Amino acid sequence: MSKILRYLLTYGLITLILVMATKFLQDRAWFLSIFFYLSASLIFSTYVISKKTPGKYLLPGVLLLCLFHIYPAFYSGAVAFTNDSNGHQLSKTQAIDAILQDSKIPVQTELPINYQVVLKDSTREVFLVFKYSDSFYWIGNSKSVVKLDQSQLKFSINGQIQSVDGQKVLASDQVERYINQIQNITIKMASEITLQPIDLETLEASQPVFTYNASVDQLTNILSGEKYQPNDNGQMVSDSGELLYPGWKANIGWRNFTSVITDKEMRTPLLAVLTWTIVNAFLIVTFGFLFGLVLALIFNYKHMRSKRFYRTIFIIPLAIPSVLSILVWSGLFTAETGVIDRIFHISTPWLTDPWWARVAVLIVELWSTFPYMFLISTGAIQAIPSEILEAAEIDGASPTKTFTQIKLPLVVRTVAPLLIASGAMALNNFGAIYLLTGGGPTFSNSNGNAGATDILISYTYKLAFNGQEGNNYGLASALSILNFVLVGAISLYGLRKMKTMEEIN
Amino acid sequence: MKIALLLDSKKFKFWMRKVLWRHLVGFVVVAFSVFPLIWMISGAFDVTGQISTQMLIPTHKGLDNFVQLFSNSSKPFLIWTRNSMVVAISASVMQVGIGALAAYTLSRHRFKGRKLTLSTILIVQMFPQLLAATSLFLIINTFGKSFMFLGLGHQLPLILVFGGSALGVNTWMLKSFFDTLPTEIDEAAKIDGADHFQIFRKIIVPLATPIFVVTFLLSFIGILNEYLITSVILGLDGNKMTVAVGLQQFIYGQYGKNWGPFTAGALLATIPVLTLFIFLQKHLVSGLVSGSTKG
Repeated sequence: MSKILRYLLTYGLITLILVMATKFLQDRAWFLSIFFYLSASLIFSTYVISKKTPGKYLLPGVLLLCLFHIYPAFYSGAVAFTNDSNGHQLSKTQAIDAILQDSKIPVQTELPINYQVVLKDSTREVFLVFKYSDSFYWIGNSKSVVKLDQSQLKFSINGQIQSVDGQKVLASDQVERYINQIQNITIKMASEITLQPIDLETLEASQPVFTYNASVDQLTNILSGEKYQPNDNGQMVSDSGELLYPGWKANIGWRNFTSVITDKEMRTPLLAVLTWTIVNAFLIVTFGFLFGLVLALIFNYKHMRSKRFYRTIFIIPLAIPSVLSILVWSGLFTAETGVIDRIFHISTPWLTDPWWARVAVLIVELWSTFPYMFLISTGAIQAIPSEILEAAEIDGASPTKTFTQIKLPLVVRTVAPLLIASGAMALNNFGAIYLLTGGGPTFSNSNGNAGATDILISYTYKLAFNGQEGNNYGLASALSILNFVLVGAISLYGLRKMKTMEEIN
Repeated sequence: MKIALLLDSKKFKFWMRKVLWRHLVGFVVVAFSVFPLIWMISGAFDVTGQISTQMLIPTHKGLDNFVQLFSNSSKPFLIWTRNSMVVAISASVMQVGIGALAAYTLSRHRFKGRKLTLSTILIVQMFPQLLAATSLFLIINTFGKSFMFLGLGHQLPLILVFGGSALGVNTWMLKSFFDTLPTEIDEAAKIDGADHFQIFRKIIVPLATPIFVVTFLLSFIGILNEYLITSVILGLDGNKMTVAVGLQQFIYGQYGKNWGPFTAGALLATIPVLTLFIFLQKHLVSGLVSGSTKG
C-alpha cells in the first residue's frame, strides 16, 4: 500500500514539474524551464533509479535552496548589468511594438468603411465583411483577413451583402448579441494599417505614425520625417534627443556600478549610507555587548536570589515580535507629543533631525540586542573554569586585575565569533531602520531616496519598490551586490575565527 | 529593638553593600526592557486612541480600540491573522521537515560531497534571502506570468520562498543535535533489519521531538516577524497582508492617527508569542544561542 502511494507521489510530482517546465518553455522563461526539466530528471534518477541514500534526503532541500536562495543571488548579479526599471521592462521587440501601437493616428478614407457581420456556423467565430480600397470586398477578424471574389458574394437589391459563401450575413438586431466579440476585433491590413469597429456599422482605419525598418534598426516618423535610433540605454532617440517610450531592458554593462562612483548625485548619498551601515553595525554590537556584559557581571552573583526573575524580564525584548515593538517605539519617539518627550519633559526632534534619528535607531537597536548579548555573556562567564579564578585569588590578584586580565579576555575569546555574526546581521537590520525612521530624514540631494539613517538594505528596498523616480531594479540589484560583498567579507572573517570549518573536517 | 538588631546584623549590612545596588540597576533595566510593552498595553486600553494624550494609566479606559480593530473592513485584522498563520505554519513545517531530512543524512551517513554540502550550507547561511529581495520579486513576477497562483500577491510562492531556504536556516542546528544522539541505537536497529528511513522515522524523529519544537517555533516567530520579503511578494493590498505588514498601515505616514487600534492589534499579536517564549524560555534561549553559533 505504502509502495503504491510512494509511486503515485513520485510520478505525480515528476509529471507536475514537467508540465510546469513545458509551460515555462512556452513563455520563454528559459532558466526556469531548464531548471524544472533538470529537477524532474534528478528526482527521477534519485528516487527511482539510484540506490544511494543520501541524495534521497538532500534533494528536496537542495532543489528549493537553488531555486529560492542561490538563484536569486545570481539573478541579482545579472539584473545589476541591465537597466531593468519602470519603463524598461519589455524586450526590444515588445517595446518597438508598443511604440508603434501607441502612436496610431486615424487614416482619412474617402468613404466611411461600412461592415457587416458573418457568423461561421461551424466554429461560431465572428467575421466582418467590408469594402476597402476601391472596389474589393474583404472578410476577416483579428486572426486573418482575405480578399473576397465577387462570385463568393450575394447582394440584395439595395446593394447590401446578403451572404458570403452561402453564410448569411447577420441582421442588425442580431449583431448586437455579438457586440463583445466585435469590439475586440482589430483587422490588420497591408502597410501597417489596422481597422477597428467604432460602432456597429463602421470601421476606422488607423496607422502608426512610426514605421520600423528592421534592417537599419530605425523608426521613422512618417509625418515629420524624423528618424529615431536606439541609444545605449535601451530607448529610441532622435537626432534632436527626443526619447520614445517605453524603452526596453538592455544590457548596460557596468554603468550601474560606475554611475554610483562617477555621478555625484548618487555618490554622495551612497557614501553616507555605506558609512552609516558600517558605523551603525559596529556601534550596536559594541554598545550591545558592553551593556550585556556589564549586566551579566552584575547579575551573575551567587548571593542574589532573584537572578532568574531578572533574566526572564531581560529577555522580553526577544519575545515581542520585533516588527511590532519597533513600530511602538516609532510612536513613542514622536517629537514633543510622544511619550518619551513628555516623560522627560524635553522636546527632541527624534525622527526629523539626522543626529537624533540616529540616536533613536541606536536606542531601539540596543533595546533589541542587549538580551542576546546578556545571554551569551552570562554563558561565557559561567563557562570560565573556577580553578582559574581560584588560582588568581590565591596569587593575590585584585578583583580588577582578575577581571581585566582573566575574565574579560576569556569572555571575549568565547563570544568573538558570535559578535562578528551579530555584526553581519546588524548590517541588514532592515526592520529597525525602515519601520522606525523609514531611513529618514531624507537627504535633500538624493532624489528623495536616501536618508540619514538609511542602511544599504533599506536604501536598496526604496530604490527598488518605493522609488521617487520610478522603481529601478537594475540599480537596486547593483547595490545588493555591494551588500553581498560587505556581508560576505565580514562573515568570512567571522567564519575563520569561529573555526566551524574544523567541525566539517 | 528587633528592627535595630536586624539592621545591625551582618547579613543586612552585606545585603546593603553588595546586593541592593544590583537591584537598583535591575529595576532600571527592567523598566527599559518592558518600556514599549507597557505603553503598548496602556495604548490598547486608552479609548482616546491618541499618542499625544496617552498616560501610563489611561484616564479613559475601555475596549473601543479592540472594537475598532475588528470592525475596520479596509484593514481586516482577522484576515491578516489568518494569512500570517497560513504562511508561518506551512513555511515552518517545510523548513523543519526539509531541514530534518538533510540534517539526518549529513549527521549519519558518510558520502562523497558531504563536506562540500556542509560548507555550501554554511556559506549560504551567511547571505540571508532578504539581500536578494529585488530578484525574488522579479522571479516571482516571472512565475506569475506562467502560473497565476505562483505570482505576486499569492501566499504559495511566499511559503515556497521561506520554506525553500530550509537548508540555509536550521539544518546546521538540527545536525548538531542529531550528532549528539548515540549512533549505537541506529546500529542496533540496523541489525534488527530497519532500513534508513525507518531509523529516521522511528528512532531519530521521536528522540529529536524537543529540538523540532524549538526549531519550529524559532522559524515560526521569524516568519511572523518578516517584513521585507512578505511585503514585496504579497504587496500592500488590504486582504492579502500579514499581521506584521498590515498593522504598520494603521500608523503609516500619519503618526498617532490610528494609534489606538494599532496598539490593540499589536498587543493581541504579541501575547501568544510572549507567552510561548516565557514558557519555553529555557529551550528557545538555548536554541537561539546555539543556532547563532553556527552563523
